[in-house]
Amino acid sequence: MNIKKGSLSIIIICFCILLTGCSKGSDHSRWALFKKVDPQPLSIYAEDGDSSLVEGIKKDTASVSAIYDVAVIKGKKDTLVAYKVKHMSRFKMKSIEKELTKKLKSDYPDEKFTVSSDFKIFLETMRLWDKMQDPNYSDKKANKRLKAIIKLNNELT
Amino acid sequence: MADSKKKNKTPKQQQYAKFEQQFETKRPVLKNCIKAFFVGGLICMIGQFISYLYIYFFHFTEQTSGNPTSATVIFISMLLTGFGIYDRLGQFAGAGSAVPVSGFGNSIISAAIEHRTEGFVLGVGGNIFKLAGSVILFGVFSAFVVALIKTIFLMMTGGL
Repeated sequence: MNIKKGSLSIIIICFCILLTGCSKGSDHSRWALFKKVDPQPLSIYAEDGDSSLVEGIKKDTASVSAIYDVAVIKGKKDTLVAYKVKHMSRFKMKSIEKELTKKLKSDYPDEKFTVSSDFKIFLETMRLWDKMQDPNYSDKKANKRLKAIIKLNNELT
Repeated sequence: MADSKKKNKTPKQQQYAKFEQQFETKRPVLKNCIKAFFVGGLICMIGQFISYLYIYFFHFTEQTSGNPTSATVIFISMLLTGFGIYDRLGQFAGAGSAVPVSGFGNSIISAAIEHRTEGFVLGVGGNIFKLAGSVILFGVFSAFVVALIKTIFLMMTGGL
């Protein structure tokens, strides 16, 4: 019985280490799958007035009632909008995506949007967001990573 | 239905049925349902946790993480069947352990163990898919039919 209890506690400790020890500092991405993180929208090639654009995109996305956590990162050509959908509205995921895409396209006709409700895309967006907080992380690298995330979103298998 | 059955029986048969009912142990249906609900839910929760692990640590999206998750759950249930743990769980939870995808792994390995004495080819090889084979066939065939219906529908409506 003691051996059983001991092995159970070892498994719990290993799991805690696994969850807490994999990334350093107070990263937002670590808990992005489990709780609301609500990150500030970012633009990789930030110019004056650009932040108002991404903030507007975030505001528009968050205005959809079924959406509760939005991450927006704007690259050179593409804008990635990752969001989480409220649990009971997850049955209507496709129609929410359709509605949001239509709304964003009509409000910002010059922008090229990639919208996703996938947890992985949200997580990767948050990981990029964390990296972009480091001033040494170059814009070129960030844009390359953003393109990789968009490519991952388009993969079906 | 019950009345018509009763009418078909002879008086002696009816008397025996009444006598039998006195000694018949009642099935705890509600208790079984609750057990199945919680154990089945627990298996699905473990599956969800594995799915999150694939999303968090590997290159899988929410859509693509389903395949490795099912494979992992099936593999774990196969191991547990081999060690004799899943059988006990099956006895306790009933449908709760058979309905999730883990029941598929259990059905393959339990058939293999059962027929091991008949040899590897005719015993294990011939009977390993005794239960799971029909599930695979039914799954593949119904997927084919649904895909066919969808294709015809899209062709007729022009993709809406």
